[in-house]
Amino acid sequence: MSIIELAEVRKTYPLGKTEVQAVKGVSFRIERGDFISIAGPSGSGKTTILNMIGLVDRPSGGEVLIEGKPTSKLADRELTTLRHETLGFIFQSFNLIPVLNVRENVEFPLLLGAKRQPRKEAAEWVDFLIEEVGLSDWKGHRSNELSGGQRQRVAIARALVTKPKIVLADEPTANLDSATGEQIIELMKKINRDLETTFIFSTHDAKIVDIADHVVRLRDGLVTENFRRERAGAEA
Amino acid sequence: MQTARLAFRNLSRQKRRSFLLGGAIAFGVMIVTLIDGFAGAFVDNVSENFSNLLAGHVFVEGVEKSPKGRDLDIIRDDAALREAAEAAGIEAKYVSRRSALQGSLKFAGRTASLAVQGVDFAAESFLAERLALASGSLDNLPRDGIVIPEPIADKLGVETGDRLLVTTRTYSGQQNVGEFAVAAVIKDPGILGSISAYATRDYVNELLDLAPDEYQALSFYLPSLSGMDEAGDRLHAEVSSRLQTFEREAPGAEGENPILAMMRGEDEETWTGVKYRVTTLNDALAQVQQIVDVLETASLVILLVLFLIIMVGITNTFRIIMYERIREIGTMRAVGMQRGQVRGLFLWEALFLALGGAVAGLAAASLVMLGVGLIDFGLDSPLFIILKNGHMSFRLDWASVALKVAIVAFLTLAAAFLPARSAAKLDPAVALRTAV
Repeated sequence: MSIIELAEVRKTYPLGKTEVQAVKGVSFRIERGDFISIAGPSGSGKTTILNMIGLVDRPSGGEVLIEGKPTSKLADRELTTLRHETLGFIFQSFNLIPVLNVRENVEFPLLLGAKRQPRKEAAEWVDFLIEEVGLSDWKGHRSNELSGGQRQRVAIARALVTKPKIVLADEPTANLDSATGEQIIELMKKINRDLETTFIFSTHDAKIVDIADHVVRLRDGLVTENFRRERAGAEA
Repeated sequence: MQTARLAFRNLSRQKRRSFLLGGAIAFGVMIVTLIDGFAGAFVDNVSENFSNLLAGHVFVEGVEKSPKGRDLDIIRDDAALREAAEAAGIEAKYVSRRSALQGSLKFAGRTASLAVQGVDFAAESFLAERLALASGSLDNLPRDGIVIPEPIADKLGVETGDRLLVTTRTYSGQQNVGEFAVAAVIKDPGILGSISAYATRDYVNELLDLAPDEYQALSFYLPSLSGMDEAGDRLHAEVSSRLQTFEREAPGAEGENPILAMMRGEDEETWTGVKYRVTTLNDALAQVQQIVDVLETASLVILLVLFLIIMVGITNTFRIIMYERIREIGTMRAVGMQRGQVRGLFLWEALFLALGGAVAGLAAASLVMLGVGLIDFGLDSPLFIILKNGHMSFRLDWASVALKVAIVAFLTLAAAFLPARSAAKLDPAVALRTAV
């Protein structure tokens, strides 16, 4: 069973008296442990598709299935719980909470759900993630004291803190210089390997698309390409 | 708890804005607290001052009808009244038995009108402690000695040792003339100057044509203000079982001063012998309580009006806050924050603002009360009756303060509720793509 399946997904936005079709019937599957890039130019529908996979937006038609479960009829509370338990988010503009420091930002999602980890276990996991993203010396700093790359590392740790099966990253390198962007993608790739977390990221940077092992290319709200790359030592 | 902690920290984001909003709440709380504090002390101070003025808390007066139907003030049954007071268990700190004449003092062609209290100085030893002497002495007061206030002494141009002529009327209304020797002059008692002359009761009785064992007013000065009405009721019952009395409460006295209503009833009534009236300070001050009720209502109305204005500010500010943090709300919703938690985040912030403002308002009110309390208005101030020893005083009922703080918190939460609900209802996708 695919971890995510999109079946004839459409999304229409009202624009004054007319409507804009951002996604025009898209279908593809994402397998567990994929490191998938949703690529395409601006306005191709990347963010819209990512939002629908991330359950922050509802399709106008079609169905998004998470682990085989249809999501279109779920109530807001159920969608929020599903997001909290299954999905992690990395945003283009990092979207850290400015009044919280690095540690608190990473810990934040853990404190939202109904299920709580034992305090000590949670603290160790948070510290482990901060160390993994290389920010052990910055735990007490607030986001305005960090560089763009450091902020995105905090966002990655925050996305992983609830041990989600899927992490969605919307243009995670767009606000970073190319070297930092590559480091961030490498970090995501490492976590993808080590924790077997499925990573779905949108980008229009060809160099970053090359790192992905599954690519879905979009244009004008339609899939133009959907392929898996053969990697040395990896199965397609 | 994470929501509350985050809400608390959010207050520090726009310090100036939080300060202004909290300041508006603090100002409202301060005004209301000051009114409450003033109203709280108002009754105490007025009661205390009147009890000093009237020399007691529970009073007995005797009224006799003249052949022409006039009411004459006289107490002829002291023994029965003593017995009644004992039976009623009146434990008085001081008991005073006084007569009083209204007369004109004359000296070297100058005249001054005033009331002269006939006092048993030996029994009313506390009086010597209260009177601030400017000259002379209360020791060995001669039978015709008089103690007059400074302004009267200045007006007449007299000093201690001078002798004054007094023209007055006996208790039954006959013209009478006497002579007083100025034994002492007391410092200016302010607006009470016209009723602050004292002489021996023996001599005042002589001028009033009363027997030495007769007098006009019996007062009991109780150890505290509480329980005076119960003491008055008990005394009335005991006096009634021995002597003729008026009803404790005059019929139809609702909304009117009880003593005035009682006296109106006496004018219409006829009887023979002396009939006794038992009253308390609370009867005399019934309308003071009405003033306090008005002040308390005004304080609540001011609180509500001020907070209606402040609420508009809070609602608008929280709407602005919602738009400023719209992407943050989208992010929090995306990472798993439920709608109720978003709403809670805003409401916690409003609650902290309200509580912070309330605490600051109470602190500011305390400082103002402390500062105003230090101002000496003097005993001759026109405000004398509401002051405590010449100083403005305040008394807060902490239950009422807690209620007002609860109202402030509720109104602030109500003001923040609509923006909080709007924030909670935001579509996460819309919130995330909104550029601020």
